Amino acid sequence: MDQHHHSQLFKVGNAQVSRLEDIRLITGNGKYSSDWNAPDQLHACFLRSDRAHARIVSINFDKVGQIKGVIGVYTGADAKVAGYLRPPSFLPATGKGGMKARVPERPCLAIGKVRFVGDPVAMVIADSHLAAQDACELIEVVYEDLPAVVDPEDALKPGAPQLHDDVPGNNPYEAESGSEAPVTEAIANAAYVVKLTVDCTRVTASPMEPRAALIEYKADTDSYVVHTPSQGVNMTRKQFATYANLGEDKFRVEIQDVGGGFGQRSTCYPEYVSMMMAAKALQRPIKWVSTRTESFLTDTHGRANIITCTLAMDKNAQFTGLRVDWLTDQGAYLSPTGPAGHIRNPTTCLNGVYKIPALYAHFRVALTNTGWVAAYRGAGRPDIAYAIERVVDAAARELNMDPADLRRRNYVPLNEYPYKSATGSTIEIADLPGLSAKALTLADWSGFEARRAASAKKGKLRGIGMSAVIEPTGAGTYPRDEIELSVNADGLVTLHTVAHSQGQGHETSFAMVTANALGIPTERIKVRQGDADRSVTMVGNHSGGSRTMVGAGTVCHIAANKLIDAGKSLAAEDLGVEPSQVSYSKGEFSSPHSKKKITLAQLAAKKKLSVVGEGTFTSTYPNGCHITEVEIDPETGVTDIASYLSVDDCGHIVSHTIVEGQMHGAVVQGLGQVFGEHIVYDKESGQMITGSFSDYIMPRAGQLKSMQMEEYTTLSKIGPLGIKGMGESGCTASLPALVNAVSNALGVKHLDMPLTPSKVWATIQQNKAHLAKHH
Amino acid sequence: MAKIELKINGKQHSFDVEDRTLLVNLIRDHAQLTGTHVGCDTSQCGACTVHMNGAAVKSCTVLAGQANGADITTIEGMAKGDKLHPVQQAFTECHALQCGFCTPGMIMAVSGFLKDNPKPTDEEIYRGLEGNLCRCTGYINIVKAVKQAAVAMSK
Repeated sequence: MDQHHHSQLFKVGNAQVSRLEDIRLITGNGKYSSDWNAPDQLHACFLRSDRAHARIVSINFDKVGQIKGVIGVYTGADAKVAGYLRPPSFLPATGKGGMKARVPERPCLAIGKVRFVGDPVAMVIADSHLAAQDACELIEVVYEDLPAVVDPEDALKPGAPQLHDDVPGNNPYEAESGSEAPVTEAIANAAYVVKLTVDCTRVTASPMEPRAALIEYKADTDSYVVHTPSQGVNMTRKQFATYANLGEDKFRVEIQDVGGGFGQRSTCYPEYVSMMMAAKALQRPIKWVSTRTESFLTDTHGRANIITCTLAMDKNAQFTGLRVDWLTDQGAYLSPTGPAGHIRNPTTCLNGVYKIPALYAHFRVALTNTGWVAAYRGAGRPDIAYAIERVVDAAARELNMDPADLRRRNYVPLNEYPYKSATGSTIEIADLPGLSAKALTLADWSGFEARRAASAKKGKLRGIGMSAVIEPTGAGTYPRDEIELSVNADGLVTLHTVAHSQGQGHETSFAMVTANALGIPTERIKVRQGDADRSVTMVGNHSGGSRTMVGAGTVCHIAANKLIDAGKSLAAEDLGVEPSQVSYSKGEFSSPHSKKKITLAQLAAKKKLSVVGEGTFTSTYPNGCHITEVEIDPETGVTDIASYLSVDDCGHIVSHTIVEGQMHGAVVQGLGQVFGEHIVYDKESGQMITGSFSDYIMPRAGQLKSMQMEEYTTLSKIGPLGIKGMGESGCTASLPALVNAVSNALGVKHLDMPLTPSKVWATIQQNKAHLAKHH
Repeated sequence: MAKIELKINGKQHSFDVEDRTLLVNLIRDHAQLTGTHVGCDTSQCGACTVHMNGAAVKSCTVLAGQANGADITTIEGMAKGDKLHPVQQAFTECHALQCGFCTPGMIMAVSGFLKDNPKPTDEEIYRGLEGNLCRCTGYINIVKAVKQAAVAMSK
């Protein structure tokens, strides 16, 4: 590692800490959503559908009165009166052939019908959580079962059970990107065509903090104060406002710590708007904390895409065209970010890191009797990278080529950036030939056969896999990102942002950027997230899509420079000179034309010193190459990660410590999906059979013992700091690298996640002849 | 209803709670110490880990009644004034936390584990962390922190 690789330690009180937010989090003083309480609060509990698809014949809640402390029960009838029927959807209005998006209703409490196990049917409000829970158990619902469909391909077949009257064929949307004719031609004229279908499996984000909310109604302004895990207050307000048909000014989002996000926090859930009904009717704050079982059933799931790539090559193994047929399973309802993320995001990087003159993708969306699907760490970008990097490996195998060589022949060369892709993206800058060469050398790619032989001697199957990936970040959904900086009389600088950390450490990284520009110690910057103590909400994006350091992080730098300029104008009077004659260094204003000096603190004591900096950003493209080796025990099917190397280009790095931590976490999240995590529904009953941490296999300590992380930087020019962002790229790269390594070890083309020991063992049994020949 | 008397972080408490109350709810709702977290319903995530009479336990799996008369330490009781516990110190210095939600349970589990096994091997550390889930860090820095804390505590 280079000289930048060190822990950046700060001193808070008497303790050395590595991030400014750490002290409260390691001492139990964090404040997560379930830690908020309000005087006089009541508690909500939800009765949920225990079946996948059924008509609600009747709901009888006569018996709930037996439970002391029950205040009320709400059902779909109340949802109808309130008009809380339709969560926001960010789908483009028209799809393939001018098809109009058919976004189904999702009443906050089911009306007439339930469509997946976990669909909320009734909400009980009581003076204690236990009373609300007891009362839920006394509600009697009579259902008339309907046939259920949990497989997306089955759901689109004629005669499939219909989920929504207004979504015929369970087909809410179909879209295309690129153009079909040139790809069809490329395939027809190709020397080689390789086709591979992969299942980018349904998983769940599983942030360690379960969902929770405290909703308060303010009668004087007819508005709501919301405390719930969020990735940014603006996104949350907008979604609440859309679901509840109210103005955004009717919501204030007050939160502090968020226990992980990964895309799952960007949705306004039906439980939250249901609680609004009770908060207003009863004029008392309503609190709800999800159980983990409810999380599994009702949090937005991720991925759930079945992707077929057809890759055309000429006689020199140059890629001439790529066709992508994409089927996304969106569950029973369309989430705000799900369908759009799974169409728009892959479109922007449909060529992967390669020069492919002809691109075409056909996206089909299916509704099934399962939980809804939304953005999950990468949102469509890991999925497309996974599909492309798998088909490239399959192509290398069929052509009997080194997969590194096949990639090398096809990378977009450095001198062709900005590269205009056949799906209309302008990919800013990357140097995959240089970056991957560094990775191949560090991983000793060419020395692999000796390691394979050494493993074979121990009776183990060794495999090597690589991935080369790129993904867009930077562009947001708001017109700009704003950062407010205010200097207090004690010289502390308060920084306000509407981007919200869910663990990314913005209190530290934002402070570092600002402190660096102002030339003052980092701990003098106090970062405030959200809008808790501001009367006007600033403009700005939520934290998602790896874009926060690109956007709000860069604006910290812009705002700091604006603060210096504003300070110069104010200081000029005190120094008795023109603003242009004032210079600034390390918290102090001075001038060669004056004997006086004035510090930031002294200036702020006299005059209001506060600015709002802003910036608007287009897309930039973090990229990387990951190489991993696995060793498989053929007796048990257990896969051990023998080595993992990442070489990444995320532009300028503000905190190496934080970037390293994000990369660890993202790679292991990918590893989780590769080796264990999988949301599975029973095909007949539609019951989820992986609804707890005993059935849903999360990564554990020791699964990835270490990883070597290296950088290969090209700077972005979309902002003054050259940042590209990187929160998701590790996940994008680790999915294909790991599966390619296992598939290399086993010598098989078709292999779908999760690669559990039993699946790996069974695959070994089926391929014994092949393995005997190659190992 | 049951009357529960116990010591939490050195302070004597008495609470009247429903018989079915779990220790974690007593700690969070009655003693109002919200540093102890609940991350699952099946005793798998370990976010609720506290020390009961010196041993690390998952407080979601202990009835408040079982803790009657016990001496409980929660994450809030680990630092002595400004001085962090060596495990807390190691967690921040090794960047072993991101969102911080699993962290209190991790710190309580690790400090309990190191008491039993002051010089663990890597494999023993992995086994020791088996009952605690973290979604952010990929565990690499957590393992590093356990090793650093072990060294600091053996001094």
